[in-house]
Amino acid sequence: MRDQLEIPALSGNGGNGNGTRRTSRGMGNHLLVKAGEYVCALPLVSVRRVLRSLTVHPLPGSSPELKGLAEFAGEPLPVLDLARLIGSPPSATPAFPVTIVVWVGPADARELVGLAADSALEVADVSPGSIVAGDGGFIRGEAAIGQEVVRVLHLEALGRES
Amino acid sequence: MIGPLAAGAGRKGFLLLRRGGGLWGIASSAVDSLSRRGGAYRIGVGENAILADEIIGVVDDLLVRPSAGVLGRFWCEPAAGLAIHGELPLVVLDPRHPPGVLRPADDDSNEGDRSA
Repeated sequence: MRDQLEIPALSGNGGNGNGTRRTSRGMGNHLLVKAGEYVCALPLVSVRRVLRSLTVHPLPGSSPELKGLAEFAGEPLPVLDLARLIGSPPSATPAFPVTIVVWVGPADARELVGLAADSALEVADVSPGSIVAGDGGFIRGEAAIGQEVVRVLHLEALGRES
Repeated sequence: MIGPLAAGAGRKGFLLLRRGGGLWGIASSAVDSLSRRGGAYRIGVGENAILADEIIGVVDDLLVRPSAGVLGRFWCEPAAGLAIHGELPLVVLDPRHPPGVLRPADDDSNEGDRSA
């Protein structure tokens, strides 16, 4: 049986007055993950599972963002390097690497993909109004959570043709 | 079996092999010959050939999934699909268009086979 991880929400309110706050009752809408030197917010509705890092088998000839293929629930799963996807410098050897299995692409053609990240941090609320500087692509924009700026990801865009 | 193989069209299953650190599968019906070349293997596939570092074996069946979508954005090689053998993911080859890592270098492709 796989190691499925529990991602508890932080206790305390942590609100910052701009519509984005750390959740106090596990009712957040985004999962915060560390990827390289950045923190990313993934829409919870797109997160299927958070696992200890899956064994990945490299695919010769792939671009650097693709770490390779893994097995998940009996199916082949492409695993992408989240730090590379968002252009983050790599971090030192992560202490608790995870694979986050997410749905990507439009609703009528969604597919599962694994995102390799350094760690899963917590669940937080990110209101749409708090997101700034979005480019309409995979990085929807940035939002402040407490004292930290996180990159809010648009997973649907990852499944679009480039 | 090393050397010419029995008529491929009626053969079932998939030949599994390793090349370049990856695990690959090809329909047995597409395989015409298998020969050893030094430390590697040369698999005749119609007018093409592919190379393998290791022959894993033959499996009766694979559940082949489409490989388009996100994978195609980051791995621009043709393939028949993806599958799982045991707990190992693999790429099922399109015999007409093998990925570059499996193709012999030009100077190898016209050499005669040296069956072991």
